[in-house]
Amino acid sequence: MKRNEKTDWFFLVSLCLLLFLGLINIYSASGSQKSLFTHQLFFVLAGVVIFLGASVFPLRFLEESVPFLYIFTLVLLVLTIFFGTGPAGRWLQIGPAKIQASEIAKLCMIVLSARWLPALRREFVTGGVPLYLSTVGLLTALTLLQPDLGTAAAMVMIIFGMIYWAGFGFNWIFLFLSPLSAAISSIKFVSWITFTVILCAVLYRSASRPRRWVFFLIMTSVIAAATPSAWGLLRPYQQARLTTFLNPEADPHGAGWNVIQSKVAIGSGGITGQGFLNGSQNELAFLPARHTDFVFSVWAEEWGFIGSLFLLVLYAVLAWRILVGARHSLNQFNSMLAAGTAVFIIIHIFVNVGMTLGMMPVTGLPLPLITYGGSHLITEMLLLGFSYNVIRNWRSY
Amino acid sequence: MRSSSAFNEKPYRSIMIVTIVAFLILAGKLVELQIVKGNYYRELSSRNHIRSVVRPAPRGIVRDRNGVVLADNIPAFTVSLVSLEFDSTNTRLLGNLLRMDQERLRERLDAAEATPYRSTLIISGLTVGDAGRVADNLYRLGGVSVDVLPRRRYSYGSSFCHLIGYVGLADSTRVFEGELSGRTGLERILNERLAGEYGVIREVVDAHGRVVERFLGEDVEPSPGENIVLTLDSRLQSAADSLIMSTGHEGAAVVLNYETGEILVLSSVPGFDTNHFIGGISSENWNNILSDPGKPLLNRAWATAYPPGSTYKIVTAAWLLESGIVDENTMPDPCYGTFHFAGSDFRCWSTHGRLNIIGALAQSCDTYFYRTSMLGDMDEMAEFSSGFGMGAPVTGILPGEVSGALPTRELLNQLFGQGGWGLGNLMIASIGQGEVLATPLQIAVTAALIASGGELPPLSVLKNESFSEATWETNTSEDTYRIVREGMREVVSSSQGTLHQSMSYLPVQVFGKSGTAENGTNEDHAWVNGYIEEPMPVAFAVIIENGGHGGVVAGPVAAGIIEKILEISYETE
Repeated sequence: MKRNEKTDWFFLVSLCLLLFLGLINIYSASGSQKSLFTHQLFFVLAGVVIFLGASVFPLRFLEESVPFLYIFTLVLLVLTIFFGTGPAGRWLQIGPAKIQASEIAKLCMIVLSARWLPALRREFVTGGVPLYLSTVGLLTALTLLQPDLGTAAAMVMIIFGMIYWAGFGFNWIFLFLSPLSAAISSIKFVSWITFTVILCAVLYRSASRPRRWVFFLIMTSVIAAATPSAWGLLRPYQQARLTTFLNPEADPHGAGWNVIQSKVAIGSGGITGQGFLNGSQNELAFLPARHTDFVFSVWAEEWGFIGSLFLLVLYAVLAWRILVGARHSLNQFNSMLAAGTAVFIIIHIFVNVGMTLGMMPVTGLPLPLITYGGSHLITEMLLLGFSYNVIRNWRSY
Repeated sequence: MRSSSAFNEKPYRSIMIVTIVAFLILAGKLVELQIVKGNYYRELSSRNHIRSVVRPAPRGIVRDRNGVVLADNIPAFTVSLVSLEFDSTNTRLLGNLLRMDQERLRERLDAAEATPYRSTLIISGLTVGDAGRVADNLYRLGGVSVDVLPRRRYSYGSSFCHLIGYVGLADSTRVFEGELSGRTGLERILNERLAGEYGVIREVVDAHGRVVERFLGEDVEPSPGENIVLTLDSRLQSAADSLIMSTGHEGAAVVLNYETGEILVLSSVPGFDTNHFIGGISSENWNNILSDPGKPLLNRAWATAYPPGSTYKIVTAAWLLESGIVDENTMPDPCYGTFHFAGSDFRCWSTHGRLNIIGALAQSCDTYFYRTSMLGDMDEMAEFSSGFGMGAPVTGILPGEVSGALPTRELLNQLFGQGGWGLGNLMIASIGQGEVLATPLQIAVTAALIASGGELPPLSVLKNESFSEATWETNTSEDTYRIVREGMREVVSSSQGTLHQSMSYLPVQVFGKSGTAENGTNEDHAWVNGYIEEPMPVAFAVIIENGGHGGVVAGPVAAGIIEKILEISYETE
């Protein structure tokens, strides 16, 4: 392994600026609860230490530790389902710390996919695809049961991006996503038939052997048949959460009100913004969840279009530098890890900012590096640390 | 396998393109919200945190002709609640402090939940004591606030319940919650004038509705409603009320000035206390009113039509004279107590012998009117009576005013069918029975028209304002008036007059007419109407429901009212 590659100043400056702007934004959003700012400052400092650690961590160890990481994550997810606290029951109390297991599930899934997907791509292993699908599927399903539909959906999108990055064609992407598509299509008989016809066409085009035909047809049929009864097992509030996700207009007093206030906040920022600590929507507490889900609205109200665009550009630069690093990397695990991180960042930005702009459904996905909270910040700093590791050590394999 | 950098070239490009497109979409939406619609959202934002607080206008004060306050406003307290900030475990505590039924409180809390961010009225019309208990506990009742709202107070609630009416919560809240509007009586008819214009103050509030600062400079002060002066005299009205009450029966009295058209008394007994109705009547009070055998909700002065009995004879007499059927000296066959006609007995209340029209009025001889009216035409009598205010509302404006009824060929054909009725119906109608129905107000108007010689101005209950458009077309000669007035004078002055016993002691000349109206199988209604010229020109009518003989029961009530008029006019002199 070669050391002392050139420092990526674009990456580091973007990251530092995002952390700094995030902190001053939390200061504004926390209103009279200044303890939130102090906590966040602590999280950021801890995140920086973790970033530095991750950026020099031997990634080969990470690759080897996937089974342990996977089991550890499963345990956390299951514990959260049974002992979860907080308003949505998504937090696991361990001593003084509250951990959001679904954040760790995202990390685990990226590392796991980074290790397995290139292997699957490289050579056909009997039962490899089903094993990968069930492993990742279990993670996603447990995340769904947190209940955290937003994160589960983000995980599926990240898998999608990583499968693509691994070099699988669209046929394969379709096949990888077929369990999810089967579950969704089971809502109506017609849509399930349509899905099955497309599945057959894809199997035919990819010149599949009979065994693969049998596997995919049986697997998707079983999933489609089991979905309605699985739905029935969900508790009503969990069902409600899912349907609200799919149709946010159905709940105008809850999520709908939040989005309206968020749009008012962002729009009233205008070009130059109302100024730091001067956003009336924020300061007068009209914005809900203003230090968590709608933290971007606070920023956009106080710093206006110029500030918002600047923030988006910083994220874009960060994602770009990571993707460049992933492209350069000679080690497939490293490349996949960085690409997964980039997709992670991009999806979170789009879903969270899109939500504050009223373009995306209201989910609990955080704005990376800026939303208040330790779990997601530590996860992100860990992933970014690994990515910076990859960028600097692109030659290693 | 060791990959070359070209291995990831295609995914890299695709993902970069997708990323750039995604960020451009976000930026595009930001352009739309912040640049294109920036001003619109800025406006929305300021509306979001600048709250307009409505200041209700004090409602106009209602006074009687002497300036006595009949309806005014006192400060009362309301309790409102912002659902989002209210801890529902405090429901019981709030209910206890408000002394409010838990079920009713729950109803209001459910209503408040519909607008969780805004303040919703829970209860209004609290006294200082009630509100004080809540105010003392505000620190542990998050989301609850206590405000002042003017409350209506009726000083003579029961006496003027039908005329002034009462206010209640507006049906559809036009401007603010707790807004009052007149529900009955003048409160309803004159609502626009009495209500006034609400004011607005502006406050900067946070999302929880907490006032951050006062937004100065754009306050609009409320402008109070117009004050109203009635033509009625509360002293006379109260006197009439207690005189009727002293008979032990329900009844009504009307007194009006026949030179000005001003109504002085519109008494209907029993009444109900309109103060109970403000802000919603309790079911206990409502049930008490409904179960009262005196039916206090029934407005007897102008919204109930009774058979007028012999008080109607002053109109019949004028008609007989005017149509030439009789003159001053006509003396039909004597009254033997019963008049046999067409196989039926038409009874008189006494045996009167031979009388002219003045004597017939004085002694209220039914036989005289049977024998003479049968020579006339039913439709002509109805037509003539309608000129005296009968058979149609006399103001057309008083709420719930009824028309009464006059028998015509058309009406009787409707009721009994062609040939199902006969001359007997006309004879019965001539003494104010049968199909004739009139309100006490109409009966007072007939006396006023006789007194004024048909020159009665339009009636009014508002000082210096003509209230109704109705005018009178009596088409009656001065001679007829003179003869009828002479008859009415004899009713009191003649020793045989039906009101001699009860009214002749008065120091002023009373022109009157008694009536004892048969009323199915029930006890007769006792009636009297008439007028005086001194000390002021007023006409009156009194009915005592099921009171018995008019001269004996209603006469003393009318005499008592006249005594009160004398007393008042001596005081003013």
